[in-house]
Amino acid sequence: MPATDFLAVLRTLTEYGVDFIVVGGVAAVLEGAPISTFDLDIVHFREVENVQRLLRALAAMDACYRLQPERKIRPQSSHLLSAGHQLLITRHGPLDLLGAIGHLRGYEELLEYVNVIKAGPDLSIKVLKLAKLIEVKSETAGEKDLATLPILRRTLEEKGRQ
Amino acid sequence: MQRNVSVRPETSEYSVDGIDLTLIRWMLSLTPAERLQVLQRFVNSVEEIRAQNAGD
Repeated sequence: MPATDFLAVLRTLTEYGVDFIVVGGVAAVLEGAPISTFDLDIVHFREVENVQRLLRALAAMDACYRLQPERKIRPQSSHLLSAGHQLLITRHGPLDLLGAIGHLRGYEELLEYVNVIKAGPDLSIKVLKLAKLIEVKSETAGEKDLATLPILRRTLEEKGRQ
Repeated sequence: MQRNVSVRPETSEYSVDGIDLTLIRWMLSLTPAERLQVLQRFVNSVEEIRAQNAGD
């Protein structure tokens, strides 16, 4: 499995002209929160032409669903046009494509709550503002999103099955 | 972040308390050195972005 390279994913999405907003743990870190994460969450614009650009970017990154990566199941346009969540693995690491977050908040609704930041010399990305990120997380996740201990317990269980 | 339930084949992506099992399995598939490398690359990427925005 490939290691995480957030910048490589962001560069590829941008090179293919994909409209998206970075949310989740990476957004929190970029906004200054001292947490860590291992996947990149984005909310993409669910518009037909943008989804086509996104599919081309995903193909360039050899993206497939990470539940059973050996089967190489690829996301289709119908998946990306929905409000659902697509949990993918790419050659640059995990990538979660979220059609909507919280109470079905999509790209257009979130767009007024972003900061545009420089992610490299020629790379600017939209990042959800921390206050909005907290609001959205509070709508659906509650305290479990903040707790590390359950993750450690589940990891131990999975190790026990190996 | 709570995930929507999606139509996907076979085994569960999430535990009953909402933990993403695919990420745990992915990390467990790596060697300890590779896990450390994953974390290091994460930190390197974030530091690079933060440096680009220093003083903003």
